[in-house]
Amino acid sequence: MAMSDQEIKDAILEKALKNKKAQLYVKDFYKCGPDAKARKIKNLANELVTEAKMVFFSSGSTTMYVHADRQRSEEVN
Amino acid sequence: MAKHDTPLLDELESGPWPSFVTDIKRQAEVNPDCWDILGQLELSFKDRITHWKHGGIVGVFGYGGGIVGRYSDVPKLFPGVEHFHTVRVNQPASKYYSTENLRALMKLWDKHGSGMTNMHGSTGDIILLGCRTEALEPFFWDLTHDLKQDLGGSGSNLRTPANCLGESRCEWSCYDTEEACHHLTMHYQDEIHRPAFPYKFKFKFSGCPNDCVAALARSDFAVIGNWRDDIQMDQAEVKAYVDGTTIPNGGAHRDGDWGTFDIQKEVIDLCPTECMWMEGDELKIDNSECTRCMHCINVMPKALRPGKEKGASISIGAKAPILDGAQFATLIIPFIKVTKDDEFESVIDVIEEVWDWWMTVGKNRERVGETIMRVGLPTFIKVMGLDPIPQMVKEPRSNPYVFWSEEEVPGGFERDVDAFRKKHAA
Amino acid sequence: MGYDPENPMADRITDIGPPHYSKFHPPVIAKNKGKWLWHEITQAGVMVHKAESGDECWTIRVGAARLISTSLIFEMCDIADAHCDGYLRFTTRNNVEFMVDDKAKVQPLLDDLASRGNKFPVGGTGAGVTNIVHTQGWIHCHTPATDASGVVKAVMDELFDYFVTMKLPAQVRVALACCLNMCGAVHASDIAILGVHRKPPMIDHTRITGVCELPLAIASCPLGAVKPAKAEVDGKEIKTVKVNNDRCMYCGNCYTMCPAMPLADPDGDGIAILVGGKVSNSRTVPKFSKLVIPFLPNTPPRWPETVEAVKNILEVYAKDARKYERVGEWCERIGWEKFFEKTGIPFTIKSVDDYRLAYDTWRTTTQFKYTSHVK
Repeated sequence: MAMSDQEIKDAILEKALKNKKAQLYVKDFYKCGPDAKARKIKNLANELVTEAKMVFFSSGSTTMYVHADRQRSEEVN
Repeated sequence: MAKHDTPLLDELESGPWPSFVTDIKRQAEVNPDCWDILGQLELSFKDRITHWKHGGIVGVFGYGGGIVGRYSDVPKLFPGVEHFHTVRVNQPASKYYSTENLRALMKLWDKHGSGMTNMHGSTGDIILLGCRTEALEPFFWDLTHDLKQDLGGSGSNLRTPANCLGESRCEWSCYDTEEACHHLTMHYQDEIHRPAFPYKFKFKFSGCPNDCVAALARSDFAVIGNWRDDIQMDQAEVKAYVDGTTIPNGGAHRDGDWGTFDIQKEVIDLCPTECMWMEGDELKIDNSECTRCMHCINVMPKALRPGKEKGASISIGAKAPILDGAQFATLIIPFIKVTKDDEFESVIDVIEEVWDWWMTVGKNRERVGETIMRVGLPTFIKVMGLDPIPQMVKEPRSNPYVFWSEEEVPGGFERDVDAFRKKHAA
Repeated sequence: MGYDPENPMADRITDIGPPHYSKFHPPVIAKNKGKWLWHEITQAGVMVHKAESGDECWTIRVGAARLISTSLIFEMCDIADAHCDGYLRFTTRNNVEFMVDDKAKVQPLLDDLASRGNKFPVGGTGAGVTNIVHTQGWIHCHTPATDASGVVKAVMDELFDYFVTMKLPAQVRVALACCLNMCGAVHASDIAILGVHRKPPMIDHTRITGVCELPLAIASCPLGAVKPAKAEVDGKEIKTVKVNNDRCMYCGNCYTMCPAMPLADPDGDGIAILVGGKVSNSRTVPKFSKLVIPFLPNTPPRWPETVEAVKNILEVYAKDARKYERVGEWCERIGWEKFFEKTGIPFTIKSVDDYRLAYDTWRTTTQFKYTSHVK
């Protein structure tokens, strides 16, 4: 059975919280919804940012996702 | 009153070219923080190294692009540039401005930031340089509410699309570049503002093969104006070039001593396909041989014009050298109509076909051109559902290592080695 | 009204995009869009476009630094208000264009521009050197190997005569990118000035744990030169990385992913010169720029070695190339061995490609020219 949007979002958050490295590319979330299209996962990950559950980390050239509870203080100085 | 001595930078105030040092000093009278820009740059000139460090997670809430974070590594010396973030504001297509709009935007920047800008950045955005973290949200609020404007792209987003000025002021444009650019910019606001891809992705729209916006060299998705019928010709105007009435090359060589115009030498002999000749005083073109390089049209703009059946070529995968080396975009679709009539659907279909594939197959920090290189152009052509045509390559491959699929070979790949051995002793 | 930090999401507006371009077209542009017949450059920096309607759009192009202040932009607006019905335009190469709809309005505009010192040089058209496109350099970037605005100012001061005239064989596009990342994409320019690092990154073991995801730093290296390692910090063993210096190509990708791996260095960094690229499809196909000078030192404030190198290449080209020939077309016609001989630039092993796709650049024919290189 296909996962619901909420189930995929929960899986994304879980991955962001428990993954060994805190910074994740959007690709790292694709497995959170194996049947969903890549653009769907992208949209759901971005929804989580809008909900303040994840934040973006940008190096300028690339952008990654970080769980809101795993932000590093040193990066913001 | 200058806050720091800048003897090295002061040497850049002389000379005929406009001086950015003089300009920053002028701005420092308006915004004293700019003295610290000069101070830190002077230190870099002295030390021969940058004094900026990484950005991190600054941005406006909910957007994964548009702001590039930057901090000074000597903030005690130059507190005015302790935070010096860049704001990328999406430029209007073609970069025309009313002074009313430009003044309003600059007033807003004076209110929230340093007052220094780049008009424009390499990708095309209006770059506003130097803003504190706490000013980002107020700036964004005013930008969207008062000016009804928005940020551009950065990071792994669709980067702000850009176009040459096209039909607005150029007789050669084969489609409406600014409408295409604006339409797709609006269509893909989410992809511009939030990360969507393995790495950056750029659209650029040029109106003709002269490619003034460098789409073929710089964009993952290049839409370059082209035509498929005959070059339009005015023989009376050809004569005017030949007899010297009209200055060649639109006057672009006016100050050089190049002698009188010689149509044989300057046009016909320089045609890469040798498809032009004179018959009496008439210029002839074998249009079926023409590759539309633009040279003859560039040299005789009053006599020759692109044809009437206009559209564009789509080339995919250009990028700067990082990491595998520079790539130009590869011609994928030789000719396609690009028109507002179908809301640019023909182009959008191609874009989304590329994205759906690249988002899945592309590795992190891999541009689409590199993904195509890694998996091979044949795979990409199949993914795109296109028929392979010779226009996609310069020449056929010279090695024989073709990958065949099992279905293409009679009997398939599974064979009986025992049966083989009955006829062939080991 | 305004932003309320207590309630940041109230009335938030997002994803509205840029204003529609048609609001900013000068009237003569709005009226004649898609109906232009031909154009002519009447003098350096001045163009006329003729429309089917008989209308004319006269464009005056002026050079500007890329780094400009709001004060200067307000002054540009004053000029556009006084002469151009309140409209102006910027080009992709950081020039500013003032447009008027009548030839009679051109001279007063030129006089006005000339009265403002050297702020608004008129030119940048046709067979000359137009504005240098460039990156940020030391004014704003965290990975540059050289400055941008300073080098560009020094080079343009020297090439100024070619900006205000059109006497070269063809247009010459000069570009500068301040590191190998080439966010300025100088890889298809007639003459490219490129900042290069020459020292592998240092590793700041005391900071790396706090600021880096080690797998990302390791994965960022295109040559696999960054490897996991252990180090001791304050008597404690920590996970960190090491760099195989022999494999490092100084691209700085690791530093972009990991701030604890800085690589900039006053003596290591400098400028390489590449020539012969082009973007246009005119006559010959687009070409990449080729590396002819591997390193020149960073010598602020005026980078005399770089200025001299660019000027030398430009002047040899100007004397030797045929009409319409871009720098790269000239190099290919005479042969690269002749390019090195004519410019007096020493050919070094650094110009022989040993990166990916290198074979494409090696000579696999007996056709060559005898130059002093053949001993």
